[in-house]
Amino acid sequence: MTAPAQDKPLLDVRGLTIEIDSRRGPAIIVDGIDLTVAKGETLGVVGESGCGKSLTMLSLVRLLPNKIRVKSGTADFAGRDLLKMSKAELREVRGGKVGFVFQDPMTSLNPVMRIGDQLAEPLIYHRNLSKAEAKDKAIELLRLVGIPAPEKRIGAYPHELSGGMRQRVMIAIGLACDPELLIADEPTTALDVTIQAQIVDLVRELRAKLGMSVVWITHDLALIAGLADRVAVLYAGTVVEDAPVDELFARPGHPYTRGLLASIPKLTDERTARLASIGGTPPEPGRRPAGCPFAPRCTLSEAICHERVPALEPLGTPTHRVACWVAQRQIREAA
Amino acid sequence: MSMQPSVQPMTVPLVDDEPPVSLWRDAWHRLLRNRLAVAGLVIVVLLAFVAVFGPWLTPYDFLSQDLNARNQLPSLAHLFGTDDLGRDVLSRVIYGTRTAFVVAVVVTAVAVVIGVTLGAMAGFFGGWFDRIVMWLTDMTMSVPNLLLVVVINASLKGPAMAWMEARYLETLNPFYRETVWVDFLLVFGSMALISWPPYARLVRAQVLSIRGRPYVTAARALGLTNRLILTRYVVPNALGPLIVSVSAGLGTAMVLESAFSFLGVGVNPPTPSWGNMISDGLRVWQHYPHLLAAPAAVLGLATAAFSFLGDGLNDALNPKGSK
Repeated sequence: MTAPAQDKPLLDVRGLTIEIDSRRGPAIIVDGIDLTVAKGETLGVVGESGCGKSLTMLSLVRLLPNKIRVKSGTADFAGRDLLKMSKAELREVRGGKVGFVFQDPMTSLNPVMRIGDQLAEPLIYHRNLSKAEAKDKAIELLRLVGIPAPEKRIGAYPHELSGGMRQRVMIAIGLACDPELLIADEPTTALDVTIQAQIVDLVRELRAKLGMSVVWITHDLALIAGLADRVAVLYAGTVVEDAPVDELFARPGHPYTRGLLASIPKLTDERTARLASIGGTPPEPGRRPAGCPFAPRCTLSEAICHERVPALEPLGTPTHRVACWVAQRQIREAA
Repeated sequence: MSMQPSVQPMTVPLVDDEPPVSLWRDAWHRLLRNRLAVAGLVIVVLLAFVAVFGPWLTPYDFLSQDLNARNQLPSLAHLFGTDDLGRDVLSRVIYGTRTAFVVAVVVTAVAVVIGVTLGAMAGFFGGWFDRIVMWLTDMTMSVPNLLLVVVINASLKGPAMAWMEARYLETLNPFYRETVWVDFLLVFGSMALISWPPYARLVRAQVLSIRGRPYVTAARALGLTNRLILTRYVVPNALGPLIVSVSAGLGTAMVLESAFSFLGVGVNPPTPSWGNMISDGLRVWQHYPHLLAAPAAVLGLATAAFSFLGDGLNDALNPKGSK
C-alpha cells in the first residue's frame, strides 16, 4: 500500500467543533478536529465509543441528530465547504459523491422494501436512470459486492438475507453512484469475525478497482492495520495522533495510542497474563479537563499536561503528528 | 467503474431458492391461522357484498308499504317480518347495511387521509408544525362527540335544506330535491371531523419512533428528498398499527352512525339505517320484538366482526407483541 500523490486533498476538515445541548447547557463533544483524506487514500479513524468519530462523519453530510450541531470549522470537499452548502447541493453530495455504509446492517435497510428497489433509489434519483436501467445496474452492483445469483436476490427483502449479505447490500448502495468518497461507519462491528474479514477484503478490492477514497471508522486497531493508508486516533473529540499506518504501529507517539496497541491481546502472551488496559474513563462532555483531555488517565502526565491543550504537531517526520507535550519534549531532547 | 463479477463471491450458500416472502404475506398467513379473525373477515366480506349488491338482493323495495301486512312476525314471505307501515324489515336491514358501509368507508377514508397526512408530517418535521397539529387534535378530542354532531346538525342542516330548496325553485333541477344527500354530507362531515385525531396521534407516534431508525438516516445519507423518505421509508413502516386501527375504526364508525341515527341527528327516515330502525323498534319492542332484534343483531354482528378482525390483524402484524 503506497501513499497516494499528495496534491490537494479530496476532503479537508479544519477545526471542526461540534456541541450538544445538555441539561447543563451546550457542551463540546468534538473539539477542533483536523482531518484530511487524499484522493484514493484510505483513512482509518480509530477511537473508543463516544469519542466523536461517528458524529464527525455524520456532521460532514449534516445528518447530526437533534440537539447536536456544528459550532465552527470547515469541511472542504473537492473545493466546496460541505458545512455551508445549500440543501439542494447537499442532496447531490449525499449518496452521490459521498457514499455511506452504516454500522448495523440489520437495521439500516428498510424492512418493507425489496433490496433491489433500495439499490435502485439513488440511481433513479441521482443519475436519472429509468427503472429498467436502475434494475440492471442494481444487479451489476450486487454482483460487484459478491452476492451470488443477484438476479434473484434483488427481489429479496432484507430479513431474508444474512448479516454479511445485508452489509454487502449496504456497501452496494453506498457505491451505487460511483462516489469519490466512501464513509464506512464501523461497518463490521455487528458481524462475526469471518464475515468481518470478508467485508474488509471486499472494500479493499473495491477501492483498488474503483479508485475512491475511503474513511473507515472503527474501534478495532487490528482491523485497520491491514486496510488503511493512514490512521487518525481520536480521543474525547480531538485528534491525538495522525500517522501513516506502518509508522503508527511501529512508533506510536501518543500515550493513548500506545495504550490501545498494548491492549490488543497477542497469541504469544502468557496465558495467565492479564490484558493490558487503560485506567479510568474518558471525560464526560461538558466536563473536559483544562489541558490535554487524556491527562487524567495518562501515566506520563506532567504539570503542563493539566494546564494547556497540546497542539497536533509533527513528531520526527512531517506526516506523523502527535498532540502530546511529553512525546514532543522527548523528541526534542533526543534530537 | 468497471463491473466484472470479480470480487470473491460469498462463501455462504444460499439457504433457499423460494420466491421472496414479503412481510405482508407473512402477516396474511398468520391472519389465516387465527379462526376468530377469519370468521370476522368472512362476516365483513359478506356484509360488504350485501352492501354493494343490496338493490339486487332485497326481496322487496325498502320503501314500499303494504298496509295489509303490518307488524307481521317473521315468516317465509318476510324473513324478518314487517314494520308498522308494512315494509319488509329484511330489505330495510340490507339497505341499512348499505348506509352503514357507505358512511363507515367514506368517513374512515377521509379521517385516515387527514390523520395520516397531518400525523406523519407532524412527527417527521416536528417543530411548530407538530405543535399546531397536536393543538388541533387535542382541541378536537376535547369536544364531546355527540355534542359536536348535534351542534353541526342544528346549525347547518336548516340553512343547507333552505339553500337546496331555493336552488330547486330557481333551476327546477330534480337533483336539489334529493335532500337525503344533505343528511349524508352532514353525517360524513361531522363524523370525519371527530374521527381523524386518533389516526393523527397514532401515526405521529409511529413516525416519531421510525424517523430515528438507522434506515431513515441511511436514506437521508443517500440524499433522498423528504417526500421520498416520508412516503417510501417512514409511512410504509408505520402501516401495521394503522391497518389494525382502521379495521377497528370501521366498526366504530358504523356504531357511531347508528348512534347518531338513533338519536335523530344522523341519517333520517325514510332512508333506512340500523340506528333509526332500532330507534323505531324500541318504541314497540314489547309487542313486536323482531323490529328491534333484527337491526340490533346485525349491528352487533358487524361490530363483533370488525373487532375480531382488528384483533387478528393486530396479532398478525405485530407477532412479537401478542400472546
